[in-house]
Amino acid sequence: MPPHLLSRPLPDAIKTEVERLFLDKVISNLGLCVSVYDIRSIEGGSIHPGEGCSTYKVSFRLLMFKPFNGEVLVGRIIGYDDKGLQVSLDFFSDISIPGHLMQFGTVRGPDGRWMLKTEDGDELYLDLDDEIRFLVSSTKYPPIPIDQKEDDPPFAPMQIVGSIKGDGLGLLAWWAADEEEGEEAAEQEQEQ
Amino acid sequence: MKIQKANAGILTNFEVLDFLRTRGAKVDPMGCLGLLLHQSVYEYLLKTPACNQTRESIYEFVKRSEGFMLAEADKLNVINWRPSSAADAYAMIEECGKRFSRDYRGEACDEDKRVQEFLDMVKEVLPPPPPKAEAEAMQE
Repeated sequence: MPPHLLSRPLPDAIKTEVERLFLDKVISNLGLCVSVYDIRSIEGGSIHPGEGCSTYKVSFRLLMFKPFNGEVLVGRIIGYDDKGLQVSLDFFSDISIPGHLMQFGTVRGPDGRWMLKTEDGDELYLDLDDEIRFLVSSTKYPPIPIDQKEDDPPFAPMQIVGSIKGDGLGLLAWWAADEEEGEEAAEQEQEQ
Repeated sequence: MKIQKANAGILTNFEVLDFLRTRGAKVDPMGCLGLLLHQSVYEYLLKTPACNQTRESIYEFVKRSEGFMLAEADKLNVINWRPSSAADAYAMIEECGKRFSRDYRGEACDEDKRVQEFLDMVKEVLPPPPPKAEAEAMQE
């Protein structure tokens, strides 16, 4: 607890410090810290020799963004390349949907956009800013790289891999338009 | 730092939104960076069906879904995204076809009918998300 916070009521000051340490930071395997949920207990208040701040033992709970495998999320497409799509949730953008986890029959079109060709011959493009519903397939926490070259993309400590392979997944527009026909389509697929 | 419990519990989008609402009122000059993330998450959640849910509707849903034998993960997906069509249900419930092939007594039944029963219950219990502003603009 740094000296400049000592004038504030203790729980507030401690909450501020815990927020400063964890808010918007990724903890490996635990996700992105969105908020300090609560402070459960505060002990201590001793001052170590040579330091100006007091040390407390604090027990607290953090609210984490950590979607489980199989969780459904809706985001926006913010990019695409030969590996797949990049999706953003506004507050979190390190989500990728690789080519092999897209609906069967999705390929890269001539202009670089990914495209799904339906049985009816329709070409459904996955465009920038399209809203997309996906399943979380896995979440990776790569170790911090020691050396980074100039051209390397910024390091993402938490990377979510999503899948749009399956009923109801993909662009929201694909399924909303067919809501009335949706049940027919589902029945047809089951008959096949 | 010692991690006492890695997972102390899962929250629905509604619970997170509710929590952020109670925190949103406090303006903390020391945590400017934090406020940005809170704001981002808050605005994202406002665009999901969680924005007009109530605790009561969620409790009601959990009660009414007992007969459908859903996993916790399925219930969370359904609460967060309020499926309205069979395709939505298949996206949100793992092995949807298999799960709905048996009714609450464990006897075999028509899965499409069961899926529809489930969707009707969801429609009744969970409030529909408000229509998007863009959709309204297009209709005009």
